[in-house]
Amino acid sequence: MSDGPHGPHGRGGRGRIRRSLRDRLEGRLLTLLAVATSAALVVAFYYPVGTVLVEAVRVDGAVTLGVFAEILRDPFYFGELARLFAGESPIAVARDLASPDRRLGIVGFTAYQAALSTAASVALGLPAAYLLARFEFPGRRTLRSLTIVPFVLPSIMVAVGFVATFGRNGTLNAVLGALGLPPVDLLFTLEAIVIAHAFYNAPLVARVTTAAWESVDARAVETARSLGAGPLRAFYDVVAPQLYPAVLTGAALTFVFTFGTFPIVLALGGFQLATIEVFIYRLVRDLSYAEAAALAIIELVISLGVLLAYLRYEARNTVRSRGARPLPRKPLFPAASTARQILPRVGLAAYFVVAGVIFLAPIASMILASVTGADGALTLEHYRFLLDRQQTGAAFQVRPWPAIRNSLLFATGATLFALPMGVVVAVLTTRRYRGRKLVDAAAMAPLAVSGIVVGLGLLRGLVFGIEVAGWRVTVAGSVAIVLAHAIAGYPFVVRTVAPGLEGLDRSLIESARALGASRARVIRDVELPLVWPAVVAGAAFAFAISIGEFTATVVLATSADAYTMPVAIERFIGRRLGPATAMGVVLLVVTGLSFVVIERLGGEHRGL
Amino acid sequence: MTDDETATDQRVRRLSRHTRRRFLALGGAAGAVALAGCSAEQTDDGAADDESGDDEADGDRSGDGSSDNESDDGSGDEETPTLTVATYTSFIDAPSVSPGEWLKDEFESRFDAELEWATPDNEINYYIERAQSDAGIDADVYVGFTTEDLVRIDEQLDDDLFAEAGDIDGLDAVRNGLLFDPADRAVPYDTGYVSLVYDGTETEAPETFEGLLDEEHAGALIAQNPGGSATGRAFLFHTVRQFGDGPDGVVEGEDGDADYDYLDYWADLQDNGVRVLGSWEDAYTAWSGGEAPIVVSYSTDQVFAADAGEDLEKHQIRFLNDQAYATPEGMAVFADADEPALAREFMSFMLEPAVQGEIAQRNVAFPATDTAELPDDYRELAQEPTDPVTFTYDELQGSVSEWISDWERQYAGN
Repeated sequence: MSDGPHGPHGRGGRGRIRRSLRDRLEGRLLTLLAVATSAALVVAFYYPVGTVLVEAVRVDGAVTLGVFAEILRDPFYFGELARLFAGESPIAVARDLASPDRRLGIVGFTAYQAALSTAASVALGLPAAYLLARFEFPGRRTLRSLTIVPFVLPSIMVAVGFVATFGRNGTLNAVLGALGLPPVDLLFTLEAIVIAHAFYNAPLVARVTTAAWESVDARAVETARSLGAGPLRAFYDVVAPQLYPAVLTGAALTFVFTFGTFPIVLALGGFQLATIEVFIYRLVRDLSYAEAAALAIIELVISLGVLLAYLRYEARNTVRSRGARPLPRKPLFPAASTARQILPRVGLAAYFVVAGVIFLAPIASMILASVTGADGALTLEHYRFLLDRQQTGAAFQVRPWPAIRNSLLFATGATLFALPMGVVVAVLTTRRYRGRKLVDAAAMAPLAVSGIVVGLGLLRGLVFGIEVAGWRVTVAGSVAIVLAHAIAGYPFVVRTVAPGLEGLDRSLIESARALGASRARVIRDVELPLVWPAVVAGAAFAFAISIGEFTATVVLATSADAYTMPVAIERFIGRRLGPATAMGVVLLVVTGLSFVVIERLGGEHRGL
Repeated sequence: MTDDETATDQRVRRLSRHTRRRFLALGGAAGAVALAGCSAEQTDDGAADDESGDDEADGDRSGDGSSDNESDDGSGDEETPTLTVATYTSFIDAPSVSPGEWLKDEFESRFDAELEWATPDNEINYYIERAQSDAGIDADVYVGFTTEDLVRIDEQLDDDLFAEAGDIDGLDAVRNGLLFDPADRAVPYDTGYVSLVYDGTETEAPETFEGLLDEEHAGALIAQNPGGSATGRAFLFHTVRQFGDGPDGVVEGEDGDADYDYLDYWADLQDNGVRVLGSWEDAYTAWSGGEAPIVVSYSTDQVFAADAGEDLEKHQIRFLNDQAYATPEGMAVFADADEPALAREFMSFMLEPAVQGEIAQRNVAFPATDTAELPDDYRELAQEPTDPVTFTYDELQGSVSEWISDWERQYAGN
């Protein structure tokens, strides 16, 4: 991209040629980026994943739908619905579905727990968004940056934190006991899974919603108020409609993630609560590819169906906006205290208690575990282990510093990749044409495909490569990792940026175009600035996805010097969890700092 | 655009617009650079210019473009040959101890060869995939597969992945009952036993499988998902051995009751509140946190506990019916190995008494040979059952997936 219009250029003939060249390039920039994005997706996602998914319909060389038919008619997977697929009368099936001892099947149960997890994540995420978007207090920006931290934690860390917090002998029961209340047995229940999913995803809902709230134009609210609307009325009529798309974005993404959930369900729930992904994982591991691929496709179709439904809603319910002068923030601790001021703050105080138990206590427990020795006393031995491994580890072993360095490099690279990719897809899918929502949903596929299937696909498609005219072309190592991470992260940029772009007043863009600005120039100078908080939020998510990514990294890392922090954590898991938790705390600190830096780089939003 | 802003507002606006531009320009530039890097990356070995022969794709693994330029083009007459040994990651990299480093140093100091470890994430499945994709094997020996892995390999591949072991020194010292390959490819180098580990300050674990169904042990046991964890699978196999797999099955249970099979036992176990978590780590974390006093784990648990200075009373071992499920680990030469002779020398080396002792201690397992040199205190802490049980290759063939999927369907049916 070329620099801005400032400065003395364009003088004389050579300047004019340069400028016209630049203009032409700029005019084509969008097309170029779109082509590059599609190529990257095909090479590092659609083709590799396709090599696996095709096994569902190609069994022993023949094309068949038999595998699907069998799964759809299997009550183990589809519960009562399986009978529908098997040809039974819909009325009888509906009657049994309404009865209390209905069978959900694995697929039905997976959807059920995902719906509960989504509700919990929204319930826990919205108050945080309210606090971050509407109140001013010391450390607000840092807190906003840190909200995404839970998103990157490996499941073993969350398991450690949850056992220490919600376990039989955990912190929560100790507190309840001290208050004279009976203990709760949370672990190994559906509730434990739902809370763990909220731990991961409420931050997502909060961050996306905060970005939208910060883009609400204060003038619209002021107009409503001046026309006589009360503050509540103004909220419902003006602010809320601008938040729904973001809240639904968060909810839809949460559903998709928790629908494909894997290790955490078995770590905190147990096999009686197994989800589809558990079975896909086992089938892939046993090389039963036909059934694994069929299940993965079913999982994908359901996830994309949810995304598509959401996208249709989003398209119908966009609120036009012309700009963004954000609402002024209120002080969290007001000087005077009236009932109207106290009520929301009491609500927030109650929220702090809940958030403290669900988010802070598990993280505090992880940190505590990293400084606790076998005898229960405080110690730094686990951190000494990290230093020791750094100094004496063999070349083929994973050492902490290279892992930190690689994580940061890969995440930076992946973010810088994901941003243009995401913006281009967001621009293309907010244009008006038939089927654009289908394109949009397909562009979201990297979020919805089973992780283990992606891993196997990358192995086949990139690491083993393909034969072209006697040459075997392979893609592996650092560049491939960055590419895979960018593809995993770019849908976040799309999902945070697109609702805002969709809502922009077209006349702004048309006037800019009429004044001679290229399409790329309009995006850069008009559209993106108007949705800037969403761009920064998307960048932070892309970074977070890369930092937390595991499957693609271990598949594509061809030597010990391409490993990242999550890989190091996994490597340091032993019978004692100290070394792994110490590395986990390093991950926590490094990513926390990175998020602060990203949001500072992105700048605080001050409108256009 | 707005009409009511102050001078500072304007300044901030300019500044933030400036950052925005830099942010975007940076993104664009980085994207372009990375794209270029990516396409340059795609060139790789042009070792063969004719059709897909079997030994063409040697250079694949170093697609990274870095480091190890292999010397196999001239099959290394003057140069030091490289032996590529594939294994699972904890064999070479674990937070406590692992045999990898010692083995490499020792082997290289005694043989004129360089030992290079390869630890693909998918372990043996990676090589099955490579063979199926005609991508070349690119390793000489695999260390660390089980009977069940071997069954899966043979089910998946028409051609042999491994060659026959052939003449290996020390093979006759391998203990009775550990040899698990009817086709004599796999050579066992160590074994583990899956047993119960319990906190003696909380409970006294039962001595029989039936004892786990007692009311006093309700909710006391944590096991692992047999579909995703080696210990979970071994424990499931042990229950199949004990109770059989039903009237239509192939295994007659040791309990002698044809009407009560392993699924009936698991139904009772589930009624008594057994927890089946995902991985060994999940289970051990929950057990360490005091969620339940008994966990399915390895019989070497006290070795770790003593090493960490923990109370051994809290790390008691129980062998149900005086048995434990044995999980011998094997090694074999790839049929496609570039250095087959060196690979066999390596396997003989692995069976030497001193090396066997080191492997057992560093992998925290039991030696495969009865000539291994082990210190007495290790023998005391690492407990062996009086009656190890296991399934043979023939028994596992054709049964494993059914045992597991039947168990899954019963346990998770909702």
